[in-house]
Amino acid sequence: MKNLFKLQKFSLYFLLLSGLAITSCNNDDDDDVPAVENEEEVITDVTLVFTNTADSTDVVTASAQDPDGPGVQELQVLGDINLDTSKTYIMTMEVMNNLETPGEDITEEIVEEGHEHQFFFSFTEGAFSNPSGDGNIDNAGDPLVYNDYDVNGNPIGLSTTWTTASTELLGGTFEVRLQHQPDIKSGSSSAQDGDSDIQLYFVLNVQ
Amino acid sequence: MQFDCICDFCNYFCNIVAFRVERIIRYLAFVVLLTGLQVQAQQVNDTCNHQLSGVVLDSETKEPIPFAQVKVQGENKGAVSTADGTFTIKGLCSDEYTLIISCIGYSGATEHQHTEAEHAHFYLKQSVEQLNEVTISVQKNKEQGTESISQSTLNIKQFNEIPTQSLAAAISDVDGVNMASTGSNVQIPVIHGLYGNRVLILNNGLKHGFQNWSSDHAPEIDVLSANNITVVKGSAGVRYGPEALGGAVVVEGNPMYFNETFQVKLGSGYETNGRGYFGSAQVSHGLKNLSYSVGGKYARTGDRHAPDYSLTNSGKEEQTFNAGIRYKFKQINVKLYYSYINQNLALLRSSVAESGNLFAQSIESDEPLFIRSFSYDINEPNQLTQHHLGKAEVNWFSSFGKWTFRVGQQFNSRQEYDVRRNADRPIIDLNLATSDYQLEWNHPEWKEFHGEMGVNLFTQNNDNNPGTGTTPFIPNYNTLRYSGFIIEKLFVGQNTFEIGTRIDYENNNVRGRETNQDLYTDSYEFTNVTASIGWIRILTDYSTFRSNFGTAWRTPNMAELYSFGQHGFKTTYGLLRYYTDDNGNLSTDRVIELDESNVTSENGFKWINEWNRQKGTHDLTVTAYAHLIQNYIYSRPIGVYGTVRGPMPVFIVDQTDAAFIGADVTWKKKWTKALNGTFGFSYLWSENIQDDEPLINQPPIKTSYKLSYKAPDLWKFKETKLFVKPSYTFQQFQAPRTISPSNIIDGTVAVNPDSEIFDFKDAPDGYFLVDLGINFKLTDFQFGFTVQNLFNTSYRDYLNQMRYFADNPGRNFLFTINYTIQSKS
Repeated sequence: MKNLFKLQKFSLYFLLLSGLAITSCNNDDDDDVPAVENEEEVITDVTLVFTNTADSTDVVTASAQDPDGPGVQELQVLGDINLDTSKTYIMTMEVMNNLETPGEDITEEIVEEGHEHQFFFSFTEGAFSNPSGDGNIDNAGDPLVYNDYDVNGNPIGLSTTWTTASTELLGGTFEVRLQHQPDIKSGSSSAQDGDSDIQLYFVLNVQ
Repeated sequence: MQFDCICDFCNYFCNIVAFRVERIIRYLAFVVLLTGLQVQAQQVNDTCNHQLSGVVLDSETKEPIPFAQVKVQGENKGAVSTADGTFTIKGLCSDEYTLIISCIGYSGATEHQHTEAEHAHFYLKQSVEQLNEVTISVQKNKEQGTESISQSTLNIKQFNEIPTQSLAAAISDVDGVNMASTGSNVQIPVIHGLYGNRVLILNNGLKHGFQNWSSDHAPEIDVLSANNITVVKGSAGVRYGPEALGGAVVVEGNPMYFNETFQVKLGSGYETNGRGYFGSAQVSHGLKNLSYSVGGKYARTGDRHAPDYSLTNSGKEEQTFNAGIRYKFKQINVKLYYSYINQNLALLRSSVAESGNLFAQSIESDEPLFIRSFSYDINEPNQLTQHHLGKAEVNWFSSFGKWTFRVGQQFNSRQEYDVRRNADRPIIDLNLATSDYQLEWNHPEWKEFHGEMGVNLFTQNNDNNPGTGTTPFIPNYNTLRYSGFIIEKLFVGQNTFEIGTRIDYENNNVRGRETNQDLYTDSYEFTNVTASIGWIRILTDYSTFRSNFGTAWRTPNMAELYSFGQHGFKTTYGLLRYYTDDNGNLSTDRVIELDESNVTSENGFKWINEWNRQKGTHDLTVTAYAHLIQNYIYSRPIGVYGTVRGPMPVFIVDQTDAAFIGADVTWKKKWTKALNGTFGFSYLWSENIQDDEPLINQPPIKTSYKLSYKAPDLWKFKETKLFVKPSYTFQQFQAPRTISPSNIIDGTVAVNPDSEIFDFKDAPDGYFLVDLGINFKLTDFQFGFTVQNLFNTSYRDYLNQMRYFADNPGRNFLFTINYTIQSKS
């Protein structure tokens, strides 16, 4: 009998405790939703804007788009780069994340972290009179005309200058690579150092 | 009310506790069902004049247990303990025997270090029934060498010897148990080919509540805080809940016995590979009604080294703390326990490739692409985790059985950093709160039935912390689960039958974000019944046969359902994040609601048999099993998909029906009194039976032989033990075909979701490793010296995700020193 009484007492305690427990977990049971994140890693759109230095209305663009970022859709290169012969262009890069509304301009971030980033380019040899050669992806010391520099005086490449050759080129290649080189970037670092944030291949026509 | 041995006709078939009798002994070692203990045998004369004596005590209350049966294995001799628990068996012809001690209502025995070993004390544990699914504890302790530095021994002394190893590494030498890992720091146990959410890790009675994403994350448990670890190889879902489909790893903390002397244990050590060092301290004291234990550890390791290169960014830093207090008031025992662990785990730098080019290069290169000189620094990628566990447990030994009420709270926080533009901000930042409420009742014997029943309430609340600058990899969620179970044992002659059933109801509420930051929500529930039936037959005094058939189920976990995006080197799409469109192409444009999907819970059916024979100097255990899992959830490569960074490797989480058939063999042989050998072999065949193709990341065949030698005392060197352990791991013969990433990128091989399974790299070759070690005691100091991978062999482990990028660590010399101060009271 005594034991039974004890059991009763014990169960009472248990009930009280579990009551407490359940209440407390009800409090846990919130409906918190994850905060909206400013997605800074995803790049969906990269646009190359060539502006004729002699005529600012003469603008040539080419872009590449990964419509769903981390999703499974393939990257699409939208259109060729069509430049005129014997003209000088300033090429600027626009790097965007358009998964968000409004789209986020990642270019700013590349500028902020300029000392960790550098664009490298390669192209069909002879497509340009300046820079000559085939670009600086294979060899970082090869000619390329950078217009912007980081805090250490090393080139970034969001803005570059290109003078097309006088000869026509059809179906050439133009590769753009943005290398992320934290603690690596230096005057001699190359397109093989660090990892690629952007790696795109375009068709280049000069006519 | 005295908690006596309930029966005065103690049936020795109820629980078998085997004690090996030996001359010198101090330590009584613990194991769950089959236990080897060492007892003092007093040698009175030469032949047939040996005598054995001891006392049988309740491990919880330390009260003597009268009427316990003590039987000498293989001899027609035995005794029944007296009212004060003592027994004496005379006229024995050898100084070494195995005793079978049993008493209904009790099971197993517990370790107890006794200072005056005139008369050994045996602690019988009040039986906490669990289905006898060939439950084994790893170390039966029959062999000499419990203090050797073996990685397979699951005893606190061994954790002290290799304090730098992970929980998974500590148990991975058990036959049938492997370790899956992501490098040197993230390691999880694999039981018969199953891991992640299929192996439940029970930490001090609570399911370890952590971000259990298969082999990407390790359980945050310090082996040094454990007193013993039991590996349950069968489907233990009935007792432990859904995640124990593939087995359970039961970690128990300091038992905090009463009437123990005040004790301080200090440990320290250094290892050459990684230049790791650590310090640990543990203080414990057991008074008459009160006992406590407090301990902690600090450990730090730098970059490990493979034979040919440094494994850049593979260090680790860890702080742990644990404290417990136990109080006895009449028949009520109250236990409070708290543990804390803080880890910073580096992941191999070379495992991260943000671009497809680099990924292809990393996989195809023989060496990692990032090799820097040694450093203690931990850079990205790394994982920072903190885990708090608090538990209150009340045990009430009443005349109508033992009641246990347990409340647990766990708080797990995890920040993962990745190589990326915003590397200073975590890419994953999660808080997971877990609560457990468990009430269990071990009922007294009723019409030959012995059993246990219980009800559990389990809740989990996961939150993403803002500020990661990336879409949450998994959603916020709340899980609520109610469970009830009952397990009964019945003794019929030489047979023991066990039957159990469990019902779980689980409710989940999910809130996450898509990459465009749109909210997705879902809520779903599962109800399931599991059952298990087991049979133990004592064949002879020397041999036992066990068989268990168990069903189990498991709900897909949040990472399996909702993973989306890049984690580590790969992009993963969870079960609800992709589908195959009408053209047979993979599509990820929406989150599927669980009720609309084809996703169902995993259902497992495991039949496992164990035959054990111990006679003379032999001890042979053969385990054979067959496991069918319907809707088996696994992750596999699906291809490479274009991004502005180039084509990246993509994995999907998939479901299929899978079969696992295998066997483990452990053969122990005492060659001489000082020389012991243990042969181990494990074999597993597994297949995706729905598509008739191999599974991926399944453990290869493994075999080992450990030879240990107990040297005689020399001057002040005591308890000297040496061991050598060669082992061979075969190449996985059931690996999927290989397609290199560059062949997919350049279009040489086309793959789609229906293609036969493939992997990006061949399964690594088989490898032969040798470990050796020596331990000895000099006054109160215990010294250990171990060499791992003696020949500095270059190898890759198939179950290590880093096998794509780098070799496993090379040779390691480990030196440890432990000092124990004990008050003489």
